This record gives sequence, structure tokens and C-alpha cells, in this order.
Amino acid sequence: MAVVDAPTSRTGDRAPGFGRPSMGFIFWLSVTWILLVVLAAALADVVPLRDPDALGVRTGEIERFETPGKNAWFGGDGQGRDLFAQVIHGARPAMVLSAAVTSIGGSLGVLVGVVAGYFRGRTDSVIMGVAEIMFAFPAIILLFAVSAIWGMTMAILIPAMAILAVPGYARIVRGVTIALAERDFVDAARAMGASRSRVVIKELLPLVALPAIAFGFLGFGLVIATEGALAFLGLGLEQRTWGSLIAGGQGLIREAPHLALIPATAMFLTIMAFNYVGDGIRELIDPRPIVVGRKRKADGHDPAISAASEALLSIRNLTTSFPTAGGTVTAVDGVSLDVRTGRSVGIVGESGSGKTMLLRSITGAFPVLGVQRTGRVVVDGTDLLTASPAQRSTMLGTEIGIVSQNPLTALNPVRTVGSQLIEVMRVHREISKAAARARAIESLAQVGIPQPDQRVDMYPHQLSGGMRQRVTIALALANEPRLLLADEPTTALDVTIQDQILRLLSALCEQRDMALVLVTHDLQVVRGWTDDVAVMYGGQIVEAGPTAAVFDDPQHQYTQALLASTPRLDLRPHSRLASIEGQPPSLVAPPPGCRFAARCTIADDRCRAEDPMPVQIRDREFRCWYPGTGKAT
Amino acid sequence: MAGTGHAHLRLDDPDILLRVRDLVVEFPARKGQVVHAVSGVSIDLARGETLGVVGESGCGKTTLGRAVMRLEDAQSGTIEFREHDLFGLGGSELAVKRRDMQMIFQDPVSSLNPRRRVRDLVREGLEIWGNESGPFSDARVEAILAAVGLAGESVGERRPHEFSGGQCQRICIARALVMDPEVLILDEPVSALDVSVQAQILNLLEDLKVEFGLTMVFVSHDLAVVRNVSDRVMVMYLGKVCEVANTERLFDAPAHPYSRALLASIPGHELNLPDASTLISGELPSPIEPPSGCRFRTRCPMATEECAEREPELREVAVGQFVACHHA
Repeated sequence: MAVVDAPTSRTGDRAPGFGRPSMGFIFWLSVTWILLVVLAAALADVVPLRDPDALGVRTGEIERFETPGKNAWFGGDGQGRDLFAQVIHGARPAMVLSAAVTSIGGSLGVLVGVVAGYFRGRTDSVIMGVAEIMFAFPAIILLFAVSAIWGMTMAILIPAMAILAVPGYARIVRGVTIALAERDFVDAARAMGASRSRVVIKELLPLVALPAIAFGFLGFGLVIATEGALAFLGLGLEQRTWGSLIAGGQGLIREAPHLALIPATAMFLTIMAFNYVGDGIRELIDPRPIVVGRKRKADGHDPAISAASEALLSIRNLTTSFPTAGGTVTAVDGVSLDVRTGRSVGIVGESGSGKTMLLRSITGAFPVLGVQRTGRVVVDGTDLLTASPAQRSTMLGTEIGIVSQNPLTALNPVRTVGSQLIEVMRVHREISKAAARARAIESLAQVGIPQPDQRVDMYPHQLSGGMRQRVTIALALANEPRLLLADEPTTALDVTIQDQILRLLSALCEQRDMALVLVTHDLQVVRGWTDDVAVMYGGQIVEAGPTAAVFDDPQHQYTQALLASTPRLDLRPHSRLASIEGQPPSLVAPPPGCRFAARCTIADDRCRAEDPMPVQIRDREFRCWYPGTGKAT
Repeated sequence: MAGTGHAHLRLDDPDILLRVRDLVVEFPARKGQVVHAVSGVSIDLARGETLGVVGESGCGKTTLGRAVMRLEDAQSGTIEFREHDLFGLGGSELAVKRRDMQMIFQDPVSSLNPRRRVRDLVREGLEIWGNESGPFSDARVEAILAAVGLAGESVGERRPHEFSGGQCQRICIARALVMDPEVLILDEPVSALDVSVQAQILNLLEDLKVEFGLTMVFVSHDLAVVRNVSDRVMVMYLGKVCEVANTERLFDAPAHPYSRALLASIPGHELNLPDASTLISGELPSPIEPPSGCRFRTRCPMATEECAEREPELREVAVGQFVACHHA
């Protein structure tokens, strides 16, 4: 659900659908393996194993270098000791060492990281300075030195490795804390009178725990690997570990390969399992959908359509749906809309109404995977839903221009404004670099950027928010499209800058005879700057018509309620606003009948049972059983 | 500047709860420069009044609210709250004096620690202050939740992500109210909400204002919202005050050129104002090196030499309307 209007930062009045991502087969396999290793470590003395130190050459149970088989599953070593028993017993030091190092080093690191990230300033500089030095110092050499002085027992190795682990945790946690400390709840707690230590303990520590644990799993594997490396160098623990087994077997790799390979496999699988579980936990924290377009094969040019429709953009019965954890969301449900050349159409609605998805359904760029579209989206005679990818991308570059909400993400931060403009022009047409540059400067001037010959060589971050949005408009207009799609183009801007940008868009439409589709949550923007309006609710267009007529005399009960809930300049201060109670309908399983019925003050059984038929009166259209003042149609 | 001065302060009104004088907040920038976020702003708040603070990004309205709460450190000025000067206070002394002022933030979802349950979130203030505990505080938490329209037994047990944006803002309001504050500072409290939800929260705030006897500072960029909730409105630009007036006066007859530009920029308005493009030009100057004299002069169509040389002071141009402009 949350993705329907994902690009806007508005929260809207509906609980986000929390679909926990499924963790997958390998994750659970890894968890199982870790549990087995932990069991082995815990129960090695209890389960009926052979004595790992019993010499087969004496007991006669196992031969020297016996190959793995029925008698001894993992075979025997040079003195006939049971390798299976040795590997099982080797699990214990591996687990004890990693658990101790990870928990001690991890907790210290988390504490240090939270303190550094929250207090910042000098505390931070000192802590992170020390951490950097520790990072720079080769850990293995430190461990060499430690073992040379004190020998290599658990009591030595655990604190040594724990200290080495602290900076890693501290760095990760510091980053997370800095991000969290910028969120309002930290300020809110301070404003309420909470002390700094309370903020650290109550607000921050519980939140950094999950990322720290994820990192801890990766650290767990690293400890096991480090111990193996030390053992390989002959500096391992003075007891039986997987590392010492591998080190013992490596000289005999030709004669009895199982001696090194089996403990190595056990170690490898364990490290992998910890890494997978750590990654899995990390994904739980940070699920990121990927943006992809949808592939289509057939050629979509249909002469019948271009002949029949005089509209530049003609949407017929468009339905857009995508799968989520909670079921299939139908974000756009049977929408039809015509936009003629030279007209500006506002698509207005609240979060989750489907307005942004409708716009994305035209271009085919979605923030989620698996989007399905049915119906027709015809631009200048070409159905974009059935067009070939090449045809579609040509259309997007030349016929259709796009302006998005956030100009900073729409522009490439490491390239100059000019090079981005030039690229867009040269992709779609034969034009020399010099000519393209001249045109780039010209187009910057057209969108009202002062000193365009200097700004053309600037990077996006050197421009103000309003100037950046002008640049994205210049980009969208570079190839003189006939249709401009703008998604909340001024939501991130101040009201005086918004006025400038909307003035510019409206003037460009007129000069170039261009059609504009303007998606916004802001009724005033629609009222002030569009010719026509389409009001969306629950994935459908519930009312459409000329802007002035719809605002003066709204027909659909939702449009009326929406207008009545908007604070207006012609109302006296402290006027009570009408509010729409309840929540928007589910887009997974929308209720039967009118989508707005549950929140409508005059809805009756008919509204809740029967989907209202679209009513068309001259240039206006609405779907409501009781339009206007509420009399039945 | 868009200006300085105290003409708008009601010095002999005994009902003034909060009085801020000549507040200066500066942030360090690179190379030893400073960002002049708030430069000598004075406000006063009468008991039961709502002061709307409007302006665009960079005008200092949010910093002003945060500095009054002492979430930002001010360089100079006084913050008198019920006869106590909060300015020089720190640590626990400040916390005690400030208890009767609470703040609501813009993003309700980010204002709530996602891992904690609603009951614990709302009870937090009581816990910190330890004045009510056990079943008594539970009853109070329930009552406050009901007052903000979140009745029901299971509400307290749930976590913020189970609530919508509007409901989260209700929880934030409940957290502030549980402390029984006198002054509520609201920083863009409805900007992140959908229109229909925004109306619910605005209505709720009006109800609570009466029920709990609240005095409010309402910081917002949305002029229509500010008109709806405020008794008095202050327009800020680049760290300075342009105009202070009773709400209806400001919207009916804005006198400062920037107030006029701001109002004219509202899309689809039906005010008797010329096009915004004739009232304001160019872009916001850098707050690191603000223009001399009136800070708005670089974008003002009426600017003269005097505006560059001398900073205008607030003066009364009509009853209850104070403007810092040489030409208004």
C-alpha cells in the first residue's frame, strides 16, 4: 500500500501495510545449520560419540587414515582417532569464542557508537579517532604479539579479539545513531525533559539493536575464520578447534584429503550460515524495492486509434495492479481520461488514491516489481501498453516529457546541468555537440534561469531548489514533447517559488501547444493552474470536468467533502472545518458499491451494494448515486 | 531588516504568558562564518491566544519555535515564561521551568519511537517527572488518549506503525497534553497530513485549546491553515519579522510587501492582490550574508536606497497591525 504514492513524503491517514518480507529457503537452511552446530557444541559430551582422543591404533576400532565410511563417518586420522568426534568437539571452542567475542566486542562497540553518534562534537572526534587508529593497525600482527607474550588460551584470545571488534561495531552503530538522532522523536523526548542518558538508553539503544545484531552475525563468522587463520599459522588456541584440525590435516592433503577437507567444510558452512542469517536480518531492516519498466513484445501502433481519437493522451479502462505481501493491490481501477492538446489537467487525490500510480502507468516506470496493466494508454496514436520497448523509449524521450517531485533525485549529482541536457538531446536526434550546447543554454533561458551561459556548467547542488526544478523542466522540454507529465512538481518548493514554476509551466503549455497532466494533492494548485480536473479516490476517478465548474459546484460527495475540509482564505479564523471520518478503502479487497460509501454522510444501502454508474452531463462526469445536493439520479 | 523592534509587544498586558525579546540564533557555517537564522525577533503570547508564525523555508520560523523551547541555543535575547527568564538556564533547572511548554513536531511518524508502545510513549513525560505513577497515571493516559480521539482499550498496547499519520499526530498531541502544559508550540503539525486528516487535527486542536486552556504558537508555511487557527499572525523573512497583525487584518489588508507577495502566491486565491510575479522577484539571499538594511529589499519592487542603508523598525500602521517597512 505504502508504495502507491511512495514518491511523496506525505503520510496520509492510513496505516502502512506492513508486509514482512519472506526470508527464503537458504535463510532457514542457514538457521537450521547454526542450530545444529550450537547443539553439537553444547551436547558433545552427552551424545554417544567415540572419545575423540581414543587412539584407533590401540583400540582397533579405526585404522590409521581410515577413509570416511560406515564405521567412521568422517574417517580416522593418522593415529586412528575418530574425525567425526573431533569435528563435533571442535564446534564448542568455535561457538564459545565467537559468542564471547561478538557479545563483548559488540556491546562495547554499540555503546561507544551510540555515544559518539548522539553526542557528536569532541566526544565523537576522540572516539572515532581512536577507532580509525585501531582499524589501521593490522589485527593479525597484534594477535601475533599477544600470543607471543601470553600464549594462546581462550582467556587471552577472547579479550584481544573483542577489543579488535569494537571499532567495527562502533562505526556501524554511530552511522545508524546519527541518522536516528535527526528524527523528531529524539527532540520530542528532549523537549519533554528527558536527560541525555535517558535518550540514549530508552530511545536510541533499542533501535540500533537490530542493525547491530545483523552485523553481529557477520562478525560471528569472521571470528571463526580468524581463529582458523591463526591455527593455520600455528598460533591457534592450545586446544582442539576446527582450525587446528585443518592445520593438522593440511600436510596430508594428498594422502588423506578428508582430514583437512571435512573440518574445513564444517567451518565454511558455519561461516556461510552466519553470513546468510546476518544478511537476512539486514534485509528485514532495509527492504528496498527496485525500479523496473515492464517488457512488452507486440508493436502497438494502431491506425484505428489515432484516427478515432482527437485527444493527445487517451486512457481507456486502465487497471494497474501489483502483488504485495497482503495481496494484489489494484492501485488504478478502470480509469478513462482524455487530455487534448493545449489543455492542462489536474489529477488530484489524497495519499493512496492512485494518482501517482496513474501517472506512472502512462510511462511504465514503477517503484515495485510485478506490475500488471490492462486497458489502453494511447499517446498520439500509439498504445504505450503494447508498444515495443524501443518505440516506447523513443516516445518517452520525444513525445512525452516528465517532471518529478524531487528535482535533486531527478538530476545526476555528479554531472553538470549542461551535459545532462546535451545528452538528452543527442540520444534522440542527430545534433552536434556545439549545437546541442547552444540549445541547452537557450532552453535554460526559456525556463527563466538567469545567466544561463554560466549556469549551464554548474552542478545540481550549486543551484537552489527552484532553479533545480527549472532545470528538470528544461530537461523534460529538451526534445519539445507534446505531452508533459508532472508529478507533484512544486510540493517540495516554497509558495512564492511554486507560483513561479506553475506560472512557467502554464505559459509553456500555451506557447508550445503542449498538453499538461499535473498530479498533486493540493486542491489550490489545481484550482489556480489547471483547465480540467480529475478527482481520484480509491483508485478510481470519481469526478472529472472543467476545474472552475467542479470547484464551484462539486457533484460527487467525496469532492464536496474534500473541498469542505480544506482551510480557505475566505473563511473566518477558527471556522470549524468539515472532516472526513474513517479511512480510505483497501485497494486489495475494495468494498462493493461506491468506494466512498463507508465515509460518506449520506450513503445508503444502494451506495454500499451497487457500483455507481458514471454519469456524463455535457463536459462533466461523476460516479455517485446521490450527486450534488444528494437527490437520487 | 525586514525588521526589528518591540512596537508590537503588549508590555502592560498582565495576561502575557510568554515574552521573547530580541532573540538571536546563529549557527556556525564553514570558514568561521555564521548562518543568521533568527536575528532579533520579539514575540509575546497572551493567555489563550494562538500566534501563527508564517514564512517560507529559511525564514527562521522553525528555529524560533525550537529556540523558545531551548532545543536550539540562542546567542542573545530573553525568553520570559511566567516571569522566569529561561535564557540562561540549563540542565534540570531549565527542564523544570520548561515543563509547562510542550512541542509538537512536523512528522508525527518520526516523532514516535517505533519500538515503543503507545501507552509508554504517552506516559513518558509522567515517568520522567515521576509525579504520578501506578494506576493513577494509567487512568490519566487513558483519559488523554480519549481526549485526542483515540479511545479503546487496545490503543495503548499497540505500536506507532499500526497507526496512520493522523492517528500518530494524535498520539504526539496526547504525549504533550499529559504534561498539562500551558503553552504548546506546534511546528508544521499538519503539513505531512492529507487534506481530510488535516481538518480532523485542526478541529481537534481547536477543541483541546478550549478544554485544556492552551496557549499556542503555530508555525506553518500554509497560509490558509494559519488563517484558520490563529488570533494573531507574524510574517517572517530571512530571520526577521516583517509584519505582525490580527489574523483578519493581515489577510484582508497585508501591508508589508513580502506579506503581500506571500498571499498573492497562494494558488487560486481570491484576494484583491496583483500577480505574485509583480510583487516578488529573484531568490532568497544567503542567510550567511544577509542584505544590509531591510533583508527583503533585494526582491522587493518598492525598494529604495533608504532600504539598504537603514533597517526598518516595526511600527503600528493600523490598530493591531505592525509593519517593518519604510514604505508601507
